[in-house]
Amino acid sequence: MLALCALGPTLSGCSRVDVNSPQIRGIAYVRVDDVVRHDPMYSQLSRIDDAIAMVDLAGSGPRVPHSAAQIALEDARIRAEVAAARARTQQIVTAKQREYAAREQAAVAAALAAAGVRNASNVAAAMGHASLQQQGVAVQQAGRDYAAFQQSVVTQSNGAVRGIVQQLQQEANQKLQAKAMQEEQRETNLSLQLSQQDATKRLSIQTKLSMLALDAATRRQLQAQLADMLRRENAVLSAQRAADRREFAAYRATVMAQTNEQMQAQLSRIRTETQATLAARRNEVGAQLRGLAAPASVPHLSPATQAQIRSIAQQFQQQYQSDIEGVLSQYAQTGYALEAQYATLHGADAAASGATAQEVAVLQQRRQTLYNQILDQVEREAQRLAKEKGFRVVFSNVTAAPGGYDMTNDLIHDIESEHE
Amino acid sequence: MKKHLIPLLVVGVALLTAAAPAATGRDLTDIGYIDQSAIAALPAYTNVSRQLAAYKAQLDRQYAAAIRNAHTNQQRQQIGAQFGQRFNDEQRTLAGPSFMRAQLAIASVASTRGLSVVVDKRIIIYGGQDITRDVVRLLQGSQSILPLGTAPPPSEVGFVDQSALANSPQVKAASAQMAAYAERERQFYGQQFTRAGSDAAKQQQIAAAYNKAMSDEQNQVLKPVVDHAQAVTAQIAQRKGLLLIIDHADILFGGTDITTDVQNALNK
Repeated sequence: MLALCALGPTLSGCSRVDVNSPQIRGIAYVRVDDVVRHDPMYSQLSRIDDAIAMVDLAGSGPRVPHSAAQIALEDARIRAEVAAARARTQQIVTAKQREYAAREQAAVAAALAAAGVRNASNVAAAMGHASLQQQGVAVQQAGRDYAAFQQSVVTQSNGAVRGIVQQLQQEANQKLQAKAMQEEQRETNLSLQLSQQDATKRLSIQTKLSMLALDAATRRQLQAQLADMLRRENAVLSAQRAADRREFAAYRATVMAQTNEQMQAQLSRIRTETQATLAARRNEVGAQLRGLAAPASVPHLSPATQAQIRSIAQQFQQQYQSDIEGVLSQYAQTGYALEAQYATLHGADAAASGATAQEVAVLQQRRQTLYNQILDQVEREAQRLAKEKGFRVVFSNVTAAPGGYDMTNDLIHDIESEHE
Repeated sequence: MKKHLIPLLVVGVALLTAAAPAATGRDLTDIGYIDQSAIAALPAYTNVSRQLAAYKAQLDRQYAAAIRNAHTNQQRQQIGAQFGQRFNDEQRTLAGPSFMRAQLAIASVASTRGLSVVVDKRIIIYGGQDITRDVVRLLQGSQSILPLGTAPPPSEVGFVDQSALANSPQVKAASAQMAAYAERERQFYGQQFTRAGSDAAKQQQIAAAYNKAMSDEQNQVLKPVVDHAQAVTAQIAQRKGLLLIIDHADILFGGTDITTDVQNALNK
């Protein structure tokens, strides 16, 4: 027996510590995290850790928050696409200008030739050049104005989207937080109720256990009774926690579904309003372009030929405007879709990651509550041991200890034997 | 007099306090502790907390606007550091005088009670002298508290600034390795998790495997570095005749600071 005791303080019960030795001087310490791992409730703590990992991994799916590098990459892609769409539109507009100018010039040349004008092609070219220049300047200016207007409308729209997403997300978070607190309270009350139910019996057993003259068999029996009591309490609490977890998951799903629905409705409304505003401006620009002056008139032509040329110019301008409006409309759609992607990248996705963070926060709160319960138990046991062995001070979680007495293994032994 | 920072619980504010000279062989009954939440609940300190919270809310809004334009992790880190610095500066300006008074009150009570070291209540499981009430009473009074004319008595409890040790090349390298591993594993298990669909049992298995992988890697990469730092700390403590070393955040008065010795030894 003496030889066994000499093996060290890990064998609790037989360890006789000289608390006044120069290396200890009445001071002990506990590596609390190591003791916590041996507590019977540690498995519940691990389950919460797994649940936190599940939320985290679930968040790494489609609604994973982008990393800064991913956002930068996406950002660059979207900006490049917007620039490409703008350049493409400009090319198409220029090409169409040339195409319609050539067709108009050919039609005017034919009309002039029919009216007996000499060098009809050159005259038509001169008339067309003036018309083309005038039109080109007007279209370019209109395009610039429209792009600036579109940018301003989309910026406003994105701001509104962000505001709504944040507000709805905040409301959802508040609901979830309230629910979590309600469940937390219910579990605390239950825990209290359970411990109160057995308080007298537990105290009686603990008093008996503190008697030194107790024989080993009776001590084991009493310890088993205590452990059984704890097991029953834990089982009831675990069942309640599991039920609460299920209830919370269902509630969360409902809240998130409602939030998403509200979000989609609001986003759709904003999008429709934005598109309507852009369409109205597009029509306005179109009307302005349609009102552009006819090609320069030639004084020596007969009124009938001049009327015919004006009619040709008007006809081609109308066709050109109609064609160009389609191109501008397509550009507006592309630009809007890309701007919307941009807004999603910076706004909505952040809100989604906020929901994950909220869920993790709720679980971490539960973890903390449980950890504190375990800690209380460990500390009570450590206080009992310290008193029994005659220490003056017991520290927890020291950084390093060249001296003092490490009570960790004694505590682990006690906790394990209590729950065997 | 050498000074170091001590965080108080509620506002986590830095407090200047004095380090002790080298230890001699005194008995360890002279260990006191304080429940810092009792001090933080005093009106002078709750006012500071409120002002700091208002400043932080304002700073948070500015931070949110600034971070929106950050496209790389480096930019984000820079912005984070800038705002952190601004908060720390304001914290020192607002909280410095109140916490200096707290430090003087702790030193005064410790001196009266003959304590060589005062620590935070959270690290004391058993024993020690609770001086919370005395300190609170002194702080509630309107009289000025004079600094001690003498240094705290020698103590056999030492402390080390673990946040300073975290800047050692070994810890930094291990932390970076761990962060890279965590990112890879999160993606890998995240894909598995998505493939598991709505199979809750499978999802739980994947989550448990993910946690285990992280824990194993921590044991392989971080633990040896931490163990080495602890061993070096223990050696230095022993050389200086110290029995226990705690984190400097838990020391409120007295104690022997061995941070520089440990840093030098780790950087060798």
